[in-house]
Amino acid sequence: MGSFLHVVFVGIICAALGAASWFATPRGKNQVLLRSSVLLSLTCCYLMWAITYLAQLHPLIVPRRSDLRMEY
Amino acid sequence: MATDYPSLFRSEEMSLVQLYIPGEVAHDTIYELGELGDFQFKDLNPTVTAFQRPFTPQLRRLGESARRLRLFRSQILALSPPWNAFDELEEKLRQHEKRLNEMNRSWEELGKRKSELEEKKWVLRETAGFFNEAEHRHTEIRTSFDDGDGTAPLLEHAAEYGTLPGESSLAGFDLEFVAGTIERTRMPTFERILWRVLRGNLYMNYSEIEEPFVDPVSGKETFKDVFIIFAHGPELLAKIRKVAESMGGTLYTIDSSQDKRANALREVAARLEDVDQVLYNMGQTRRVELSKIAEGLEAWRDAVRREEEIYKTLNLLSYDPGRKTLVGEGWVPSRDITAIQLALRRAMETAGTSVPAILSELRTHQTPPTFHRTNKFTEGYQTIIDSYGVATYQEVNPGLFTVITFPFLFAVMFGDIGHGFIAFLAATAMILMEKKLLKAGLDEITETFFYGRYIIVLMGAFSMFTGFMYNDIFSKSLSIWQSGWEWPSNSTGLVFAEPTGHTYPFGLDPNWHGSDNALIFTNSYKMKMSIILGVIHMSFAICLQVPNHLHFKKYLNIYAEFIPQILFMWSIFGYLVVCIIYKWSIDWSQSSTAPPGLLNMLIYMFLSPGTVDPKTQLYAGQGFIQVVLLLIALVCVPWMLCLKPYMLYKEHQRIVAQGYHGLAGQENGHNRVSTSNDLEEDEEGAGQAVAEPEEDEHPFEMGDIIIHQVIHTIEFCLGCISNTASYLRLWALSLAHAQLSEVLYTMTIENAFLFEGNAIAHTIFLVIMFAMWFTLTLAILCVMEGLSAFLHALRLHWVEANGKHYMAGGYAFTPLNFATLYEEDEQ
Repeated sequence: MGSFLHVVFVGIICAALGAASWFATPRGKNQVLLRSSVLLSLTCCYLMWAITYLAQLHPLIVPRRSDLRMEY
Repeated sequence: MATDYPSLFRSEEMSLVQLYIPGEVAHDTIYELGELGDFQFKDLNPTVTAFQRPFTPQLRRLGESARRLRLFRSQILALSPPWNAFDELEEKLRQHEKRLNEMNRSWEELGKRKSELEEKKWVLRETAGFFNEAEHRHTEIRTSFDDGDGTAPLLEHAAEYGTLPGESSLAGFDLEFVAGTIERTRMPTFERILWRVLRGNLYMNYSEIEEPFVDPVSGKETFKDVFIIFAHGPELLAKIRKVAESMGGTLYTIDSSQDKRANALREVAARLEDVDQVLYNMGQTRRVELSKIAEGLEAWRDAVRREEEIYKTLNLLSYDPGRKTLVGEGWVPSRDITAIQLALRRAMETAGTSVPAILSELRTHQTPPTFHRTNKFTEGYQTIIDSYGVATYQEVNPGLFTVITFPFLFAVMFGDIGHGFIAFLAATAMILMEKKLLKAGLDEITETFFYGRYIIVLMGAFSMFTGFMYNDIFSKSLSIWQSGWEWPSNSTGLVFAEPTGHTYPFGLDPNWHGSDNALIFTNSYKMKMSIILGVIHMSFAICLQVPNHLHFKKYLNIYAEFIPQILFMWSIFGYLVVCIIYKWSIDWSQSSTAPPGLLNMLIYMFLSPGTVDPKTQLYAGQGFIQVVLLLIALVCVPWMLCLKPYMLYKEHQRIVAQGYHGLAGQENGHNRVSTSNDLEEDEEGAGQAVAEPEEDEHPFEMGDIIIHQVIHTIEFCLGCISNTASYLRLWALSLAHAQLSEVLYTMTIENAFLFEGNAIAHTIFLVIMFAMWFTLTLAILCVMEGLSAFLHALRLHWVEANGKHYMAGGYAFTPLNFATLYEEDEQ
C-alpha cells in the first residue's frame, strides 16, 4: 500500500535534484534561465505527480462497470 | 550574481550617455552604432519640424532612390549578390529608371495600337457576318410581307425601308451604317439610349468577341462587343456616332462592299503581324534590362534603407554648424558601453580621421527604457509577457518564469501523450529545420507557429508528461505498472473492481479508464488539482513582489501589502489546499467520521464560523482553527487598506515639518550644473542637449493615494476568490479535451473495429475511418483544442498571475539596429 511517506520521499528526491541542478548549471548568461527553468519544471512535475498519487491513495469510490463479458 | 551576466530576471541597467561627434565621422559613427544595435537615440530637436532638420535633403534623395527601387521591385522578382558604393548607386538607379520608363512607354503605345488593330479585325469579321445575315433576312422579310402580316416589328420595318433605294442591287446594302466596338457591360445601356434618341429608327446588330482585350498598362481584361447600326440620313448617323463615342465605344470605317472589306481585313492582319513582331522584340529587351536590375536590387534596397535610417538618426542629433559637431544623447545598456566605445573607434578608422566621437555618461532622473536580452529560445516567451505590457525598468520580469509555467499550465489542459507527441514532433521539426525555414520565408499563419516553436516544443513535452499523469494516449490508457484495481473474473452485469492493495505509482490507474464512474473520479481529481495548482501559482506571483520591493527600496510595501496579501490568500484558499491534501492522506475506511465535503466546509466556514458538524469534521479542533483563519483574513483587509496611506501621510508630514519642500527639484538642478561644467564654452549646442526636462514630480495628494489603495484592496480581495475560481478552467479544458478525443475515437475507429462484413470491405472501412480519425485528431484536437488551451494559459498568466505583481509601466528599448531593419524589409 502506498502511503503519504512516498510523497514526502519523492519530494525530498526532487529537492535534492533541484539543489544539484542549482550547482551544476554552468556560469554564463543563461545560468539564471537554466536554474529557474529546472527548478520550476521539477516543482511543476512533482506537484502534478503528487496530486495524482495522493488522489488515488485512499480512494473513496471504486471503479465500476457493467460492460464486462464472460471469459471463455 | 545578476550583475555578472545579463539575465531575464530584471531588465538591463541602462545609462544615459552623450556623444560628441565631429562632422566628418558622423555618418560612419551612426553606421557602426546601427550595426551594433545597442543605442537608442533621443530626439534632441523635438520642436523642429521634419522639414527644418539639417539632413532632410539627403533623406529626400534617398526617398527618391527608394521609390525607384520600389518601381523596379514591382516589375521583377529576383535575388541579388553584392553591392557597390552608394553615390554610384543613385546614378545607376536613375539611368535604369530612364531606360525602363522609355521602354514602358513604347510598350504601352504598341499595346494600344495592337488592341486597336485587333478590334478592327473583329469588327471586320463580325460585320461580314451581319451583312450576310441581313442579306438572308432581306428575302425573309419579303416573304413575311407577302403574307400580309401586319405585326412585323418596327425595327424590321426600318430595315425594310432603308433597303428600298438599293433594292435592285444584289447586295442591297448601300444603306448607311456605323460599326465599332464597345465594352460589353455598356451594351444594354447603349442600345437603350440609341433606341430613345432615334425613336426606333435604326437596325442594330451586335455580337460578342470571345477573347478579352488586355490593357497593356494595368493588365486588366475587358470584354467587348462588335456592333453595327444601320440608319438612314446623315443626321441620324451623326447622332449615333456621338452616342457611341460618349459611351467609350470605338468606331471603325467599314466599307459595305465585300471585296473592300476582305482587302481591309487582309491589310489589318498584316499590320497586326508587324506590331506583334515589334512587341515581341521589345518584350525581350525589357526582360534583359529588368534581369540586369534584378541582380543588384535586394542589396540596393538594403543599402537605401540603411542610409535612410542613418540620416533619420542624424536628424535626431543637435547640430552645431559653426563647430561642425553633432551632439547626440541616448540610452545604452551600461554593460555595453565598452563595446560602444570600440564601435566609435572603428568608425573613426573607417572615416580616416584622428578625431573620434566622444562618449560621456550623464546622470539623470528620467526613467530608462526596459531592455531584456532575449535569445531565440526566450524570445517567444518574452513576447507573451510584453504583449501584456512592457516591464517597468528593472522590475522582476515574469517572462523568466513563463518559460516553464506557461507550457505547464497549457499541458494541464492539453494532457495527452499522443497529442503532446504530435505537437512536440512538429515543433522539433521546425527547430531542426530552423535555418532552412528562415531562409525560405513562410506565410503568415505558419510564421506565427514558427515564431512560437520553442514554446510549442515545451508545450508538447509537458503535454506528454501530463498525458502520462492522466494516463491518456489518444483517449486510450497505458498499463505499465501494477494496477490498484482488479476486475473480478467471470461476473457480468454491474461489477465493482476490487482493490489489490497497490497504488498506481505514476499517473492515473488504467482501470479507471472505461469504467462507468470514471468521470466522477477524474472530475474530483482534476478540480482539486486545478485549485491546488492555482493557489500555488498565485502565491508564487504574490511572492514575486518581494524582490521588487527590496530592489526599489519600498520596504513599506512588504509589510503593508505583501504580508497581508499572502496571509489573506492562505488563510482562505491556502487552507482549502491544505485540507484537500489532508483529506487525501487520510484512510477514511478506517476513520470513525465520514469524509467531509470540502466545498461545503469552506462555505460554512464563513456562514457559521466556529461550528463544525462532528460527524463530518476533518480533524479535531477544526472549528477553532477556522475562526482564527477567518479573523486573520478579516484583519488583513483593513491592514491592506489603511496602513500604506497612513504611513505615506506620516512620512509626508515629517518632510514638510523639516522644511524640505522641493527636495527633488533641487537635486535635479544640481546635477545639471555639474554636467554642463564640462562644456562651458559650448552653451548653445551642448547646453541645450544637457538641459533635460525634469521628471514632473507629483505633488503629494492624499486623496489619490487613498483611492488607489481602496481600489487595489478591493481588487485583490475579490480577485482572490474569482481568480481561484478562474483556475477551474484547467479542469474544464482538460476534461473537454479528454472527452472530445474519446468521442472522436468511438465515432470513427471503434466503429471500424466493430464492423462486421467481409475482409476487404472491413479493410477499406478501417483505412477510411483511420484517415478520418487522424485528420480530425490533427485539426480539432491538436490545432483547435491546442489554440484554446493556449489562450486559456495566456489568460491565466496575464490576469491571474501578472495581476498580482507585474506593474508593466515601462517602455521598450528600441535601439537603432540594422539587423531588425532587414527583417522588416523582408516582410
